Amino acid sequence: MSESQLTQAFVTALGISAEQVTDELTYNEIDAWDSTAHMILIAELEDTFDIMLDTDDIIDMSSVAKAKQILHKYQVNPE
Amino acid sequence: MDSVMPSRLCGYQVTLISVTEAHLEQLRAWRNSAHVKQYMLTQDNITPEQQLAWFAHVSRATNQHHYLIEYRDRLIGSCNLKTRGNASHIAQADHFELGLYIGDADYMGNLIAFAPTLVLNDFCFNALKAACLHAVVKPENQAAMRYNQQLGYVVVKSDGVVELSLTQERYEGCSKPLKQLLSRQRKTTAQ
Repeated sequence: MSESQLTQAFVTALGISAEQVTDELTYNEIDAWDSTAHMILIAELEDTFDIMLDTDDIIDMSSVAKAKQILHKYQVNPE
Repeated sequence: MDSVMPSRLCGYQVTLISVTEAHLEQLRAWRNSAHVKQYMLTQDNITPEQQLAWFAHVSRATNQHHYLIEYRDRLIGSCNLKTRGNASHIAQADHFELGLYIGDADYMGNLIAFAPTLVLNDFCFNALKAACLHAVVKPENQAAMRYNQQLGYVVVKSDGVVELSLTQERYEGCSKPLKQLLSRQRKTTAQ
């Protein structure tokens, strides 16, 4: 479990470069992170970390920083 | 407001609640906030008297219905449905125009903003047997353009404002991923 796994999940799901995956990156801020990409991102995170996110967390996952916080709740610590 | 429309509609984690007089100040505060007003067709601030007059009008109208959006026991915005064309009554119409804004800044641009539209669209296509839905967007409101296009809307006219339309077939195809995301079981956390 590492931050690089989290970054890779964003890279794969959103089709962006690793350099773009910063804590400040937010949902809808870039065209690549729209609702369809969000769905792919959720699937990618669930596969990568072997978790099942609930709806509130899917809705709350509005930035990379927020994703880290939420994953922490699932005992996933991308540090 | 029109009796065809339920006073509450639920789905995709949100509840739509028919607007009552008790909601008017909340609506007015949202409508006059800079982040909502900038995308409205008219930019003037709404006075309490105007808000009350608006409510008196929509309370009598049979061609439209207005809801508050509730999410996690919190009111976050407003949405509405109006007939389009000559129909003066929702029950007689098969073309509708939908409107939405998220007033609570915490949820602007959030995935939950799709939920009220999914609820209303489902109701329009399934209960009201709508042939087509319509949206009107200011051209500079790119977020609303993307939002509508993710739901399957296509641009049909661009003349000062952008007009988009949506058939049920396109809606069902395009909204499936969103519906899956917003329909998962919700866990309740013990306090």
